[in-house]
Amino acid sequence: MDKLKFIAAFLLAKLSGPVLKMTGHKGTNFPGKLALRICPDFLRYIRKPRRIIAVTGTNGKTTVSNLLCDILEKNGEKVLSNRYGSNINSGIATVLLSGCNIFGCQKYRLAVLEVDERSTPRIFPHVKPEVLVITNLFRDSIMRNAHPAYIADILTREIPSTTRLILNADDLIACSVAPANARTYFGIAHLESDVTECINLINDMRICPKCHGELRYEYRRYHHIGKAVCDRCGFHSPRYDYFAEDVDFRNMTMRLRDSEKVAEYPLLSDSIFNVYNMVTVIAVLREMGYTHEKIFAAMKKSAIVASRHNEEQVGDVTLVMQMAKEKNALACSRAFDYVSSRSGEKELMLMMNCLGDAKHWSENVSWLYDCDFEFLNKPDIRCIVATGPRAMDYRLRLLLAGVPEEKIICVRDEMEAAESLPFVGGDQVYLFYGTDSFTYAQQVREKLVTLAKEAAK
Amino acid sequence: MRIEILFPEVANLYGDLMNMDYLRRCLGSVEVIRTSLHSEPAFVSEQVDLIYMGSVTEEGQRLAVEALMPYRDKLVDLIEEGQIFLITGNALEIFGKHISRDDGTELPCLGLFPTVAKHTMMKRYNALYLGKFENSMDIVGFKSQFGHSFGEAEPLFTTFRGCGLNPETPGEGLRRRNFFATYLTGPLLVLNPPFTKYLLRLMGVSEPTLCFEDAAMDLYRDRVREFGDPGTGIEYH
Repeated sequence: MDKLKFIAAFLLAKLSGPVLKMTGHKGTNFPGKLALRICPDFLRYIRKPRRIIAVTGTNGKTTVSNLLCDILEKNGEKVLSNRYGSNINSGIATVLLSGCNIFGCQKYRLAVLEVDERSTPRIFPHVKPEVLVITNLFRDSIMRNAHPAYIADILTREIPSTTRLILNADDLIACSVAPANARTYFGIAHLESDVTECINLINDMRICPKCHGELRYEYRRYHHIGKAVCDRCGFHSPRYDYFAEDVDFRNMTMRLRDSEKVAEYPLLSDSIFNVYNMVTVIAVLREMGYTHEKIFAAMKKSAIVASRHNEEQVGDVTLVMQMAKEKNALACSRAFDYVSSRSGEKELMLMMNCLGDAKHWSENVSWLYDCDFEFLNKPDIRCIVATGPRAMDYRLRLLLAGVPEEKIICVRDEMEAAESLPFVGGDQVYLFYGTDSFTYAQQVREKLVTLAKEAAK
Repeated sequence: MRIEILFPEVANLYGDLMNMDYLRRCLGSVEVIRTSLHSEPAFVSEQVDLIYMGSVTEEGQRLAVEALMPYRDKLVDLIEEGQIFLITGNALEIFGKHISRDDGTELPCLGLFPTVAKHTMMKRYNALYLGKFENSMDIVGFKSQFGHSFGEAEPLFTTFRGCGLNPETPGEGLRRRNFFATYLTGPLLVLNPPFTKYLLRLMGVSEPTLCFEDAAMDLYRDRVREFGDPGTGIEYH
């Protein structure tokens, strides 16, 4: 009966693909959703590529998956990936379906699948990756993901025992996942900018996982990312198998060291997050047997898609679209830290509101109090325009962060709020937006472009 | 004035610690004692004006019970003597009898209240909350939790919209004398200036003023109106 259901699901879902294409619905999960609706065990029966590399974690999984696919394809591999689809079970069903011919035979030998960490209970029982990369585990949505130890527990329960893990050694929460599985570690060696004490509100790895004594960080990058030791029981962060050293943001280079070689690589981005993403990709490819030369050659022709940070010169200002996921204190803290550390005068507009929540309920603002708005209390930040349904919440949070009242402008309507920016020549003008406000932010950007051009006249 | 924060190394979720930061800034001069899992709590041998514990990981709940169990009798005495406690989020659960999870495990707790918490780990309850404190003061807040508590106990708030200690009861949180515990998470004191002033008065501040009081009051009034609007959904889905 199950097999019959699967065949019906397969054929109907497969046929829905061309229909969707003809009607201009590219990249939707509809085929997978349909297949799972007809046959809940669809992922069990669908033919899979022989090798599956899965990428999960709180941040960086899209960047890592895309970069990995790019480099593999540049090296002649035919890769099945969900880069244009979603990373939940219906997205995985859709992509596996797309890799099969009408007779149900899988055309691909290799898949790189980005997997939502919270969705693993619906995916991993049937889709068993040979390799699973965990980029990091941080706090995400309070409502969905609770806290990172909860996500680590889910992963530990769900990861197949045969899966080899590639883990961020600088993230002890990620390292705690599935302790019985074979594993490889990557990381970034000590950087000049590292500290030892945590300056962030979120600091989720304060106690030793073995004896629960206080951890001491030999170096710390941000939040719980760094190298820790427990002076009580001797526990320490794992040793790197692959790590970046001599990371040089001025010359945009780094060296990658592993047990066999040291190789120089160009940096694809000036953010430390993306250095982690690069090191992750290199570690996976080295584990797959690729030489540094082959990785280097493909990587230097690759780019990290700048969907989360786009700059353009408009009139006399630099207009920057900066993604800062709503309801995600950590993502916003990282974005605030990155922007505030850049030199030059800045004008900011905050519109990371969850418009969906505002429409039906009211956004849970607890995350604002986990988020480091304190980074925005800087002399070179000329003004901060708080806007959207939670504009007044941003205002109070900014005041508590020490931002002078005269720097804060609070206008609920986003389009009207754009007019409050002074557009002083030479300034960087940042629009912080989230995934939920992404589409609306593009409209606000248009308005900012018009206003910036007018201001330059 | 002295505030003791219990186990901030694990009880630090969902912005809850901002409650104590806000109180500290409202008080001006205050000593904040951060008690770790491996040290003896200050309340055992010294006088403190407020004992606080915030939302905590599930493993943290276990560790907190372990750390507090040797001082259970002292906690009973302090509650009866009128010591002020503020407990937010799922930290409330460790003061009940036990926590049972849907994987069949059970965590015996301090047993200071006759309540039992039941967790469904893959189904989180997320909601807004509007209630009253002492039948006169509006309380607004947010809930984000793995389960509810069941059992007969004096509540802290009376629910107007949202869920009480569990979906069947209008009473929210736990109260005994000056022991205040609520499932509400996040910046409860920032969001509820009148309750914060009540707490400060209880702590001995005769004419309390709040940090950025006008901005906080504006938001409080807006939120009471918004959460009271029947058009505003209460439980996220």
